[in-house]
Amino acid sequence: MILALIRPGSWNLPLFLHVLGATLTFGATVTVALLGFAGLRAETTHAMFLRRLLFRIGLIVLLPAWILMRAAAQWIDSKEYPHGHEPGWVGVGFLVTDIGAILVLVLLILAWLSSRRETSRVAAVVPWLASVYVVALGVAWFAMAGKPG
Amino acid sequence: MSLYQWLLFLHVTGAFFLIGGIVVAGILNLAAIGADRPSKVATLYGLVRYVVPLIGVGLLLTLAIGLWLVHDVGYSYGAGWIVAAIVLWVIASALGNIDGRYQRKTGELASRIASEGDAPNAELRARLRNPVALAISYGSGLMAFAVLAIMIWKPGA
Repeated sequence: MILALIRPGSWNLPLFLHVLGATLTFGATVTVALLGFAGLRAETTHAMFLRRLLFRIGLIVLLPAWILMRAAAQWIDSKEYPHGHEPGWVGVGFLVTDIGAILVLVLLILAWLSSRRETSRVAAVVPWLASVYVVALGVAWFAMAGKPG
Repeated sequence: MSLYQWLLFLHVTGAFFLIGGIVVAGILNLAAIGADRPSKVATLYGLVRYVVPLIGVGLLLTLAIGLWLVHDVGYSYGAGWIVAAIVLWVIASALGNIDGRYQRKTGELASRIASEGDAPNAELRARLRNPVALAISYGSGLMAFAVLAIMIWKPGA
């Protein structure tokens, strides 16, 4: 994983934390999607177990991972572009993470609601929201790694 | 986009697949330890199989594209940080392979017990909490994170 050719040493820690947060966010979002889809197919007892687990993982893993990714992104951005004027690929990353914040919060609220009632219609929405966010994260890492333009 | 940019994108994609897949497997493993019924353990282990291809593609992309990048950029294949990363990659892959086989057997045991009444079972509990298996599993994951750190700091480069 050769992430960049030349950069000042002081950028390494925020970059590491940013990539760490991003990979954890990706893994946690995939887990949420998997548990959500499995919950839709499972019988009632298992469905409730999977929905509650999904909500706990969203709260304990996904949310902190997202915060780590976003905070470290701001940290490295302040070092790399202290006067602003970021290139377009940085803007794509911030757009995906900031819209992602709304998506993650909505996902958590729906996951919490679906973990409380056996006949919850919102349970079907949760894994699809997570899947949309997985695709959005893919767009962000394309912009961050390839730096097109 | 230049060849270097495409290679870097594919390399980072491999890292996301690999570490993301490890995170999914780690979370589901931890959840299985806390599950009260074998059928729930079987369900969680059944979900792990969906991320096995993700981890496999991640392993392939990180190594193959990584070696191509070393050539493209002009680093030496004998540089300490590159050798250290490859050694850790090989150890992590080997431990992950051992862990994968162990988990597959645990999942099969959980499925069998679930179909025979789904009562809590001491053998299954012992397999889920086996300290050696857990050390191998989480050791493998930690090594992948260590490779990520080496790639960013590039000590000695």
